[in-house]
Parts: sequence; C-alpha cells; structure tokens
Amino acid sequence: VRIGRLVELEVEDPSQVGEMCEKLLANPLIEDYEIDLIES
Amino acid sequence: VKFGVIRFPGSCDEVDALLACRRYGEAELLWHHEPDLRGVDTVVVPGGFSYGDYLRPGAIARFSPVMEAVAEFAREGGRVLGICNGFQVLCEAGLLPGALLPNVELRFICRQVEVIVDNPGTPFTRACVRGERLSIPMKHTTGRYYAPDAQLDAMEAAGQVVLRYAPGSTDNGSSRDIAGITNERGNVMGLMPHPEHAVDPFTGSTDGGRLFASLAGVPAPEPVAA
Repeated sequence: VRIGRLVELEVEDPSQVGEMCEKLLANPLIEDYEIDLIES
Repeated sequence: VKFGVIRFPGSCDEVDALLACRRYGEAELLWHHEPDLRGVDTVVVPGGFSYGDYLRPGAIARFSPVMEAVAEFAREGGRVLGICNGFQVLCEAGLLPGALLPNVELRFICRQVEVIVDNPGTPFTRACVRGERLSIPMKHTTGRYYAPDAQLDAMEAAGQVVLRYAPGSTDNGSSRDIAGITNERGNVMGLMPHPEHAVDPFTGSTDGGRLFASLAGVPAPEPVAA
C-alpha cells in the first residue's frame, strides 16, 4: 500500500472540488481520491 | 534546426540539454513564464523538479504559460522531446499517454543503463537502427512507466514504444520495460533516461547524441570505443 496525501482546502464553493481533483490534485489514471466535505 | 529548452523553477538538466542541442544545431533557453516559443522548431522539456514537484511530478508545470504554447505547438505537429521530469510533464499535460509511478523499490536509481531502440522510424531516432543498444544514464525516483494493458497493446502495435530497457538493465518496474514512447502522431516523445548526459566522449558514451542528431538531421556521433 502506498499512502498518498491528505489535502485540506477551505473553499467557498465545494462544487468545484471534484474538478480540482480530476485536473490537479490527483491523476485519475494512477490515483484514486475521496472527498470529505466538512461544514464549518 | 533551432532547439528551445524550457527552464522551469526547479529544472536542473536544462543546461546539459542546451549544450547537447548546441552540438547539433542552434539552441536557446525558454523561460517557463513566457508563452512564446521564439520561433524554435524543436522543444526540449528537461529534467529536474519543476516547481518543486511537491504535489506530483509534472502536475504544476503542465499549467505553466510555456506549456500552453508547447501544447499548441504539438497540436500543429511541432516536435517535442521530454526527458525525465519533462516526460512526466508531458504525460501530465496529456500530450503523451500513460503516467510515471514511483520505482517499484521506492528508491532513487542512478546508473548507466542500456536501452534498445524499438522504433527507429521516428524523428527522434532516425539516426539509429532497430535493436541498437544505447548506453545512457538514468536517475530518477518516479520512472516506472504505466499505462493500462489495452493501451500498451495499441501503443506497441502503432510503434509508439520507441525505447526499452535492455533485460536486466533496470529495476524500476516499468510496464514492458518501456523507457521511451511517442504520442500517436509521433511528434512528441518522452523518455526517462538522460541522452543529454551522454553526448561527450568524456562521459564514456556519446550514444545520447544519436537522439539530438536525429532531430537535427545531421550525422550521428561515432560510438566511443569500449
């Protein structure tokens, strides 16, 4: 198992997070990701 | 031929690449922040750690102004050679298929390796012959080439696998021993080993010069006698 990374972001509009994962935060060809939304 | 070698913050092999290119043609550095390729006809994306590579190798560089210009240049058929980190950048940018994973042993590997020319019919390898062995160094932690099997089959059928590590030459775990590939059109190539570090007889091998000579359309260097 290779441990990846945990990225914490404060965002105004959580609807963009999926696209951020697809385009930058993960490379979907070689990495999986999960999004946990925490309301503050 | 006029080569342009990109310099990102964190690049480290751009000067060697520049000097290698200058053995075979004109060459100048291109700054990452300029979306202008200054009329060059071949782009080299060099090795190093672009923007620190903290997130994932090549992940940030693909969004740089110069890479937008490189993507457009490649779409128009311009020749682009990515070496090591440059290969990672081109994969992240979607200009090459697949991705580079950490070496299977998770360790940095630095050694002279032999790669076998699988396809001498590209602009990058036309000074080579099929089956020829090139002795060039590799030095990377994230160089295990990966693509899904169906894609690898299609790439092999289309001649996109250009270089493979000779048996026993590396243990980075690359799929099908792949060391270098092109895109479907054949105008963009990436490889993990460093041909720019093998152009002067002083280093023991000039085999890397064959790739630069291919691009420049000039005679390849004579091999260094063993």
